[in-house]
Amino acid sequence: MGSIETSAPTCIKCKENASTLQIRSDNICQSCFCQYVTTKAVKRMETYKTRGSTKIAKKMLFPLSFGSSSACLLHILDQHITSQYKRMNRAAFELHVVHVDLYLDAVDRKGSAELLEKYKTRFPRHTYSSIGLEEALSLDTIDWSSLGLLYPPDVESEKPAIERLQHLIAAMPSATSKADILTTLLTRLLVSVAKKNDCEATIFGDSTTRLAEKTLTETAKGRGFSLPWQVSDGISTYGVAFNYPLRDLLKKELVTFSSMISPPLTKFIIRQEPSSHISASSKQTTIDDLMAQYFESVEENFPSIVANVVRTTSKLQPLTWEETNSCGLCGLPVSEGTDGIFGWGGDQNSDSRVNREHGEQGILCYGCSRSVNG
Amino acid sequence: MAPSICAICEVVRALIIRPKNHQKLCKACFIAIFEAEIHHTITTTSLFSPGDRIAIGASGGKDSTVLASVLKTLNERHNYGLDLVLLSIDEGIKGYRDDSLETVKRNAVQYDMPLKIVGYDELYGWTMDQVVEVIGKKGNCTYCGVFRRQALDRGAKMLGINHVVTGHNADDVAETILMNLLRGDLPRLARSTSIMTGDESSEVRRSKPLKYAYEKEIVLYAHHKKLDYFTTECLYSPEAFRGSARSLIKNLERVRPSAILDLVRSGEDMARLVPEAVTGISQCKIQKVSLSSADDEDTSGCGTNGRSGGGEMADMEKKLQADEDAVGREVDVTAKTSSDNDGLHTDAVLLKLGKKTGPKTKMVKKLTRQTLGTCRVCGYMSSQEICKACTLLEGLNKNRPKMEIEIDIKDEESSIPRIKMEGVVQAGG
Repeated sequence: MGSIETSAPTCIKCKENASTLQIRSDNICQSCFCQYVTTKAVKRMETYKTRGSTKIAKKMLFPLSFGSSSACLLHILDQHITSQYKRMNRAAFELHVVHVDLYLDAVDRKGSAELLEKYKTRFPRHTYSSIGLEEALSLDTIDWSSLGLLYPPDVESEKPAIERLQHLIAAMPSATSKADILTTLLTRLLVSVAKKNDCEATIFGDSTTRLAEKTLTETAKGRGFSLPWQVSDGISTYGVAFNYPLRDLLKKELVTFSSMISPPLTKFIIRQEPSSHISASSKQTTIDDLMAQYFESVEENFPSIVANVVRTTSKLQPLTWEETNSCGLCGLPVSEGTDGIFGWGGDQNSDSRVNREHGEQGILCYGCSRSVNG
Repeated sequence: MAPSICAICEVVRALIIRPKNHQKLCKACFIAIFEAEIHHTITTTSLFSPGDRIAIGASGGKDSTVLASVLKTLNERHNYGLDLVLLSIDEGIKGYRDDSLETVKRNAVQYDMPLKIVGYDELYGWTMDQVVEVIGKKGNCTYCGVFRRQALDRGAKMLGINHVVTGHNADDVAETILMNLLRGDLPRLARSTSIMTGDESSEVRRSKPLKYAYEKEIVLYAHHKKLDYFTTECLYSPEAFRGSARSLIKNLERVRPSAILDLVRSGEDMARLVPEAVTGISQCKIQKVSLSSADDEDTSGCGTNGRSGGGEMADMEKKLQADEDAVGREVDVTAKTSSDNDGLHTDAVLLKLGKKTGPKTKMVKKLTRQTLGTCRVCGYMSSQEICKACTLLEGLNKNRPKMEIEIDIKDEESSIPRIKMEGVVQAGG
């Protein structure tokens, strides 16, 4: 970390080393910082402690995006499992690491396959697999007819899946809708991978910042109803629990952590371009982009507000409807008698309605309906 | 490019791109659909009954002017049978309110509606000009907002009316939803999304018929109907930069025009997910947040000011950090306390150590169930024992005689009312 000035304050935790970093506003040394990050994450995994005589490790799906957060979490959990083995020759859980290829281009896919190999070499203890997002098209859990598309992706099955996925995305009315449907397909694909591999939970690497971002993104996309399933630990309607062990750590803290540990994870991480250049007037800009940009700045000056958003959202309770339908696309419960973006107080005029040309549609939730209908 | 034809009448050339869904419309069809949608909102929510006397909270600004105009039109067109009255609040801000009140007075003539003006001075013994003398230019919007909400209720009561409609639009509702998420205030989020607060049994009900109307469409409507409204921003808004939530909403709208409506929908759905006994709002947060946020509907009439400025976020951040520290301290008491006076601390650390965080920790888990009751002091609707207006007034009145000696007697710090302290903090931040 370079030379330390003699006037640098002592680490507030160990009271020995000179501090080189700050957590929120506390001065702290490098080793205490790494300790802090690790403890915060591992503490969240305590639900999966070994109890009594159970010798069988629980299987967890670990989606790896190659971003800083999931790379850090893999490192932390790898160390955690390794030390459990050292201590008692067994671990509470084992990880099935999966990378979903969102890029459809062959060159990009080659790159990510090579990167995944690097991960395997560094963290050899775990099972690895990778899968293309187009696999989501063959999921029988999605009711493709509910989209009301002229050419639903499951019909033209003679065409290559990648091409059908491109068609599906191109049919979406806006950049936000495209991003939205990609996210939905990703989630559903991960759930199916988890189930196929008998994983009882999925461990996501989302940081506090990312979860806050997600909260506001989903709210702005009309998916407020879905928040309990999107940011809370343990709850999932899909029969597989979702967990977010990094929920108490800021994005910037994880970025720092990834370069602090030895050897650093820097070469394992695909950094996203800083969102500061995003302009709301571009046609390509999505609501997700705007929120990422927004929270990047909030995190800088108001980290506690970021954390507070996540804490608050976690208090929302999922509705328990007596009779529920599921959305044909995202699969989340839809309350009886609702009709996507239609048939509520804000749907005030039938003249403004988008024509639904393609006959009867299945059930969609508000958010999916908005993405499909514009 | 060939001129577009109106998407609804398919006859006249389109002149307006509808902000809500980018439909191309002619002027007449835009006005018709704007009114039809508000009629739809009113009828589907059974907002009014024939014979109702309704007070329109009128500031002279675009929202309330459009509301008055549309309600008059719809009342005549659909025979609502309503008796409409304009109700204005005179905050006592020279150079601002006296001008906008002139607008309201003209509106009263234009719409042929009776007008009642209620002044802060007669209601509270303080004009906003006087409040600002004490509080300073920052943070006074809180007072104005809290006082106004109650002033409308009191004004309505004077008129014997039990239903006040306000000009809150979809942008305002969306903004409130985002703000309350950022503030972590679920009870207020839940309440702010409903079209009506209070019910038949309440002394004064409030509703917002423009809840689903986009601000941009309100401006367009006012423009095309050539309505007479007042546009100058309030004088006491030095931090009149657009609040964090508001500018975010404007960007969201640009990226996806439906976003405002989608936010409103999310808010309505989330209101049903808020657990009945909402936990986790510490007592200190309640005081702070409720003081700084005026009320559910925020400070309509001040437009963009005072609710989401950087100052408020900075205060909130400090507050939350103090809470976190307090919690942290309770958990690992051993971690620090010794060797604190080695002189190496930064200002920030010193400042934090100086804060008394001890007693707060105990209250963190306190349950807060909010129910609507009446204020013990003034008897008006309030979810707390003493309503916000009375709490603020108490601070103001305490402050009045103390002002002069404050500078001389330094060790009386502890007895200087909170409100004054906040003013200092805000001015510093």
